[in-house]
Amino acid sequence: MIKDIAYLNLIQTGPGTKIRDLGRTGLVQFGVPQSGPGDLEAFLWNNHLLKNSPGDAQLEIQQPGLKLQFEQACQICISGALSTIKLNGKNIACIGVIEIQEGDLLEIGKFLRGSLIYLGIRGGFQTQEILGSRSQLNGITDAASITKGAKIPFFTNLSNPVKTTFSHPKWDNSYLEKEEIRVYPGPEWYLLDPNEQKMLLSRDFHISIMKNTMAIQLEELVSNQISDILTAPVYPGTIQLTSGGKLLVLQQDAQVTGGYPRVLQIDEKDLRVIAQKAPGQKIRFQLVSEV
Amino acid sequence: MVELTPSVFQIGPQYTEIKWSEQVSDSLLIKRLSLEKSLLKDLGNEIDDLRVAYQSIVVKWKNQFPEDQFQKLIKTTSTQRATLSDTVWKIPVCYGGQFGKDLLNLASEKKMSEEEIVQLHSQANYRIFFYGFLPGFMYLSGLDPILSTPRKSIPDRSIPSGSVAIGGDQTGVYPLESPGGWHIIGRSPIPFFTPSSIPPVWGKAGDLIQFNPISESEYERLKRNPKHPEQV
Repeated sequence: MIKDIAYLNLIQTGPGTKIRDLGRTGLVQFGVPQSGPGDLEAFLWNNHLLKNSPGDAQLEIQQPGLKLQFEQACQICISGALSTIKLNGKNIACIGVIEIQEGDLLEIGKFLRGSLIYLGIRGGFQTQEILGSRSQLNGITDAASITKGAKIPFFTNLSNPVKTTFSHPKWDNSYLEKEEIRVYPGPEWYLLDPNEQKMLLSRDFHISIMKNTMAIQLEELVSNQISDILTAPVYPGTIQLTSGGKLLVLQQDAQVTGGYPRVLQIDEKDLRVIAQKAPGQKIRFQLVSEV
Repeated sequence: MVELTPSVFQIGPQYTEIKWSEQVSDSLLIKRLSLEKSLLKDLGNEIDDLRVAYQSIVVKWKNQFPEDQFQKLIKTTSTQRATLSDTVWKIPVCYGGQFGKDLLNLASEKKMSEEEIVQLHSQANYRIFFYGFLPGFMYLSGLDPILSTPRKSIPDRSIPSGSVAIGGDQTGVYPLESPGGWHIIGRSPIPFFTPSSIPPVWGKAGDLIQFNPISESEYERLKRNPKHPEQV
């Protein structure tokens, strides 16, 4: 396979655009977070269509207003949140593999549904790999996100491009509308007052503006009689209840241990549902009774 | 001899917490380390992720919870005996002054001199229980209860990497620059987390550490030539 390095120039971006792959495994014993994609299925879908390895690095985009230029021809795929996408100033549908020519300008505008977009590229982005992963994280990689002016390396002149003509990829976007989040009782669930338990499982909660790749803080407060616990293990999808009554839904870059009671754990299949919610949107927790 | 088996809590189908209800101690750490080892040895193929803290282990299973094998393993492991590492790491720390901005306040709160605080802090052996909070942050046991101090009500926005601090009944070192609510009493010039090496840390759970007071000039010298701490 012939491979030449070319660059993608990031002309403009909102905050939080990151290089992501499947993240770091086997390093939690040193306190290293996972840092995989917030919407794993959307991420894997791109790499599948591009016939990449499942873990090939992509861009995770969290804000509208992204503008980038490809120095060389390549093939890309866009998945996750739905948005208005322009190629050289013209609206395009982002279904399946998109052929990119030398000098093409790609713009991601308004997010219509969802809040995480994945931009995959044939062969994957070739940025710095630290501790077995290219996922960017403060304290691990040189930069915590991709900023304006960055040049992101990729391979051009790949001798075996993906054939796109006959592909009619099927992808179901309905999860972006879903409001029910399936949960299981966490280790400290049974310390909650039964009324609080009932309330947690019946009312609507809204995503607050305190949302990032470490945690999503929910708007509504829950009265909390449980005292803080001795620091205990946590995972992406663990829902903590702080002493102030805030609910924190841990995400991919969350620390590996925490001292707040762990009241619920999100079913892995619904991690993407909450990760795709934008501030102001609502969710409900649905207890999966049969384990 | 009464050997209490840990309690097992199933968090949905995919996660299992194994928890001991006893106080944090070396004997608890031995039990946890032994079980971690057995889990990885006997059920390693079933385990997707394993995370530990003071009193518990939470396993994330790749597929189904292998209940029968798991129960058998819990029973046999709880009667095994292991010993803790005898590795002692010597951590150079420049206490007070520009590197330990809260030492003076802490001393006056405790009605002690700065020297007495340093003396108490540097004469103990601390055991590494696990890493968490930040990459390379060691949770340590062994702080003299006299030095126990509630965390700050308003956390500091930025604590420099290498800062040695006291928060509640714990002491620790910030491996990276970070916000934090602990009282900063000194700073170590050596690296605590090196992303470019595998493993990125020098110590492991079960090792002991000692803090060794050094002068500012010694700090500067070691800072220019950073290396792993010496073993005692």
